[in-house]
Amino acid sequence: MTLLHPSLRFQRSLLSLALASAFIPWQAHAEGDEAKAVGTISVGLGGVSGSSADRTLFGQYNGLRDKDAFGILGIDYSLRNQEAGNWVDFQATNLGLETREMHLIWKNPGSWKITADYGELVHYDPYTINTGLVGSGSTTPQVQVLAGGPGSGGELELKTKRTGLGFGFSKTISPAFSFTLDLKNEKKEGSRLFGTGMNCPTAIDPKCGGTTATNTGWALLMLPEPISANHSQVEARLNYAIEKFRVNLGYYGSFYRNDNGSLNPLVPGSLNNPLGALLPLSSGLQSLLASPLALAPDNQSQQFDLNGSYDFTHSTRATMKLAYSTATQTDNFAGAGLANAPVGVSNLDGKVQTKLAKIGLTSRPMSKLSLLADLRYENKDDQTPIAYYNTEGTASYTNRAQSMRKTLGKLEAGWQFNSDYRGTLTADHESIDRGVFTATSATSGISALREQTDETAVRAELRRRMAENFSGSISLSSSRRDGSNWLKPNSGQGVTEVTNLSDPVTGLPSTAIFMPTLANRKRDKAKLFADWQASESLALQFSVEGGKDKFDVPSSYGLQDTRMDQYTVDWNYALSDKWGLNGYLSLGHQNLNQARPAGAVMAFDNTNTGANIGFTGKPSGTVEVGGNLSYVDDKSVYAQTLTPSAGADSVALLAATGGLPDIVFNQTTLKLFGKYALDKTSAIRVDFVYQRSNWNDWAWGYNNVPFTYSDGTTVVQKPTQSVSAIGISYVYQLP
Amino acid sequence: MNTTRLIALAGLCLFGMLGPFGSAWAEGEVGAKLCVTCHDEEDLPDMSRTAHGFSADKRVPDCISCHGPSIDHPKKPADNHPDRMFIRPLALPAHERSAVCMSCHSQDPKRALWNGSRHDDANVACNSCHKIHGNQDKVRNRATQAEVCYTCHKEQRTQMNRPSHHPVPEGKMVCSDCHNPHGSAGPKLVKRDSINDTCYTCHAEKRGPFVHQHDAVVEDCSNCHIVHGSTIPGMLKARAPMLCQQCHTPHVVGGVGAVGGQPGVYPPAQPGQTAPQITSTTSGKNVVNMWQGRSCLNCHTQIHGSNNPSTINSMPELRLR
Repeated sequence: MTLLHPSLRFQRSLLSLALASAFIPWQAHAEGDEAKAVGTISVGLGGVSGSSADRTLFGQYNGLRDKDAFGILGIDYSLRNQEAGNWVDFQATNLGLETREMHLIWKNPGSWKITADYGELVHYDPYTINTGLVGSGSTTPQVQVLAGGPGSGGELELKTKRTGLGFGFSKTISPAFSFTLDLKNEKKEGSRLFGTGMNCPTAIDPKCGGTTATNTGWALLMLPEPISANHSQVEARLNYAIEKFRVNLGYYGSFYRNDNGSLNPLVPGSLNNPLGALLPLSSGLQSLLASPLALAPDNQSQQFDLNGSYDFTHSTRATMKLAYSTATQTDNFAGAGLANAPVGVSNLDGKVQTKLAKIGLTSRPMSKLSLLADLRYENKDDQTPIAYYNTEGTASYTNRAQSMRKTLGKLEAGWQFNSDYRGTLTADHESIDRGVFTATSATSGISALREQTDETAVRAELRRRMAENFSGSISLSSSRRDGSNWLKPNSGQGVTEVTNLSDPVTGLPSTAIFMPTLANRKRDKAKLFADWQASESLALQFSVEGGKDKFDVPSSYGLQDTRMDQYTVDWNYALSDKWGLNGYLSLGHQNLNQARPAGAVMAFDNTNTGANIGFTGKPSGTVEVGGNLSYVDDKSVYAQTLTPSAGADSVALLAATGGLPDIVFNQTTLKLFGKYALDKTSAIRVDFVYQRSNWNDWAWGYNNVPFTYSDGTTVVQKPTQSVSAIGISYVYQLP
Repeated sequence: MNTTRLIALAGLCLFGMLGPFGSAWAEGEVGAKLCVTCHDEEDLPDMSRTAHGFSADKRVPDCISCHGPSIDHPKKPADNHPDRMFIRPLALPAHERSAVCMSCHSQDPKRALWNGSRHDDANVACNSCHKIHGNQDKVRNRATQAEVCYTCHKEQRTQMNRPSHHPVPEGKMVCSDCHNPHGSAGPKLVKRDSINDTCYTCHAEKRGPFVHQHDAVVEDCSNCHIVHGSTIPGMLKARAPMLCQQCHTPHVVGGVGAVGGQPGVYPPAQPGQTAPQITSTTSGKNVVNMWQGRSCLNCHTQIHGSNNPSTINSMPELRLR
């Protein structure tokens, strides 16, 4: 794992923020009542129970994965100088953790504004790795087989950390003109779960030998991806606005730079076979496993846009956006450690130009009638040069240009029947043209492609106020998608259009899979929403939504249909002026059915229950308390049904296993806080969090049998985790 | 803090007694002064830390800027409510409420596409989300913004409670980091012009273009990811290999899914089996590698794209597909 030096970076970024802050008139607070500062400073200590293994879910993002104790330091400062017209806000949070954030705003409202932001975001992978890998997180990790077997290696926790620094400036040039500039730079460091794998023999490399009694012919290796990259973004915008007309011209640039070009693992000559016996690798496998993995190349994108609105009348308005953007990628192959590019090609020279035009019109020609029309056109033109990069055995193929033209039109009419009823009808149509398939590219691994899809949707909504204290809405929508003829992959390069799917020669086989992003689809959705102010102290909100997708494809394989339903009720209850309760109950269900050739029909069924109850109270003038108890239960069931084509081994395996185990995740979280005012300017605050999680995901092991990489590496997560955290802080409020 | 003084200052800021505003509603200034004779600091929450409470800004509105001159209201308040009301039961229609706010705020480029946007279209008014009278506007506070969005977006709340999620529940991200609720040219009100372009603002390493590209990735990140949260690591919509096999033909003969630790997967063989699924000579395309670990991604590790140009090595292409 890459070692970070957060303190150093922190100091550098803080220095920048401090330089910016140095010009701010912090001392202005001495200039009398008009410039009085307000704010709070919180200082304290906190502690976390359990081990790192108990915090893998709790500590994914909060910086507490590896901390038994932490400092609390937060600042909220505001200085408003009415006489000078200046206003300074400064907030700092989590200063004692590696998730610290600082935000500074210094402005003269109506004239100028300067902002500065510093933020850290850490993400710990919720799994712990046991491995013998040396140099984890570097670009040259060395794979070492665990001689003592799985579990005998060292523990490795993977994390990434983003450190961002942003500056903003805006200036009101005149009543009509203004200008804004935003700069953001983010450094991302660390490593994430990654790897390589290869199975021999294979058609794409005939020299590679398979698994035998004396040779290991396939291997999977866990190799963390080393991350050290910088992303800079700049956005500048000139805005012109007068009473009826507003337009702004903008530039956006995004520049990604990766310090790492490729991952080059050092792989030993022997790795474990499927049953964990250490054997020499079959011929050719070692070099394939050790071949470089390309890491993300440097790339950049820039956009110019013009958008605005015009009010024809008080009731008829138009909006529009025009944009032109170019994304390029010209990272040098050799510089990234990637050899054997096509002759004369030193980089991809990738270029994608996107043109966007959007225009919208809203009008209320009568008090009861509202109309909306919207048209959006996007042309994404992939101009990347085509070259023979791919090789499969003796065959060669090119990269693939992926252009796309997307057109979306929408019409809507709304009618206010009376003061209580309002109805809306909407129709929209989306057409996606993916262009002509690159004739020289490879098409293996898929059954069929489509050049164009068209989807038409209609939606009806009725809103009704049924009583002074009860209102609701119901919306129904339905869409249908179809498209052009399917394209059948050729045995070599390119595709051929299929005009008769069932033709035994030119058609597609009965085992074909038609991808859900391109297949004909019927989609229906319904949503019911109601607000009820049951009494002066009780408010309820009900929501029911459901939807289903039915894929109309010329085969019984692939995704066939999906369905979702969700029921929720939210409530707020004011017990008194000082005490309040709130909460929600949510029930959700999701289902999808898909089938695969020569085997089983899979049905995925997920149910989710969520409940939450919270309270706030002020039992006395000096005490403030609050709390929240939440519970989540999520169950995924993978049902399998054999098809008549299933073989005897499939029948026996399903009978032996009883099917895939259910995956259940549940989590209970209790959060409490209490604040006691010591005097008018100071208080003590106590925060407490308890979280218990259960997750029996079998992805990395089941029934004490771990999923094991070929060097003995295993990935584990404690299935039941309990963690408590408490923080006590002194809060000083500026007098 | 001297609360009384602060509230008094807020009242003065709000109701325009600190100096001339020079606003478009200057002719109603007398009306605004009238308001505070009844609506004093006891009647309105402190809003001294809001933009509307900063009287030095010549653009700051007063009461009648938003609520209208309300000529008859002061005469007999019980019978004559202000011209423009924003809360039930006397609230104006949503578009009229928003129009009041947009009379000033439409100048902000971020709201250039508000008219006809999804929220405008769904009768969501500015004050459906924003709290005007008060220093704490939950939707503008990063710690509480999501609670406001969840008022309508229940499914997203459910998804955020799942273990694989963006750090919204932890307060490190907010809905408006990806969405512009005031209107955008992209789907789902995403901040940039497409879902992918919005994702690239944080995940620029996925942008490419690459030598080896994955159609589904280039077209739309949400083809595979459910970005508000999932029980499947990587915020995936479905677990691999099911997700991958929705488009791709499967490798392994026989379609039964099973995992190591179940009978019949590792030795010994179970009744009816000629051999267990995994033996010393089993191919790498076996049921365990297909369903466990990273599933299809155990070998196809670079499904977001690879820039390896090698013409003599098949691995770069294999790692993609």
